[in-house]
Amino acid sequence: MTINRHGSATLEFPSDREMLVTRKFDAPAELLFDVLTKPEHLRVWFTGGDEALEVCDIDLRVGGQYRQVGVFPDGVKCSFHGTYLEVERPVRTVETWVFDGRPHDEAVETVTLYEEDGVTTMTVLLAFKDQSSLDSMFKHAPEHRDDPAVAIDGMQASYDKLDDLITTLA
Amino acid sequence: MPISEYNGRMARAATTSDVFNAIAEVHRRDILDALLAGEKPVGAIVEELRISQPQVSKHLHVLSEVGLVQCRAEGRHRYYRLDRDHLRPLDRWLAKYQERLDRLEDYLSDLRQGEEHQ
Repeated sequence: MTINRHGSATLEFPSDREMLVTRKFDAPAELLFDVLTKPEHLRVWFTGGDEALEVCDIDLRVGGQYRQVGVFPDGVKCSFHGTYLEVERPVRTVETWVFDGRPHDEAVETVTLYEEDGVTTMTVLLAFKDQSSLDSMFKHAPEHRDDPAVAIDGMQASYDKLDDLITTLA
Repeated sequence: MPISEYNGRMARAATTSDVFNAIAEVHRRDILDALLAGEKPVGAIVEELRISQPQVSKHLHVLSEVGLVQCRAEGRHRYYRLDRDHLRPLDRWLAKYQERLDRLEDYLSDLRQGEEHQ
């Protein structure tokens, strides 16, 4: 299959303390929900490059806990955990979200799936308690490991995309 | 009045020298949007955003501090333009997130193709 939606996720900041990622998938919501919430699926796609998913525990019920630990070849670990607050298969989960590197910057994550004509739109809203916690997300999350790790990851997007990016941020 | 006289201390206290912090405010993102079309004087930005001139100047100060905008004085007027190089850290972060979601898409595609063959 050659046609895909690569690079189409959008990032918005609905408020000073919230970030929202939106992405469409050509799959039914039921399948997407499973792929997002079952460890056997997450083990395949969640980490990439040189990061391995060492732990992926999910107890998908209200009050149940989840935990994910990613490991890089240099031994650096990036782990997240939280507790499910709402579980409504296949359209919605709400859970606390704690990056163990910054446990004080806890957020509430709301994932929604909306299926229409075979296309499911996923939104992931991270609501932090305040603006500085949101900022720490960018500075300390594993996706943004500081240079030189980021510099060598080869993921630098082309300058051409910057117009789109700024528009996306509006 | 020079930009630096506007609430400069407050701006520094509220933001680090970090691009993410600077764009975590809706009016500052509006200013970046307004400057997408090209260099503009402060007055034009004020008109476009419909917030007070001191407010706009305060935000421009924050954006200048992290390098997202460059300022040029011409007579009594100050002109601002976007400096795109400083958006790169944000672009890199988004690229990593994109990559994960792209893997998710590919995996879904593999699963569905597997179903078809059964």
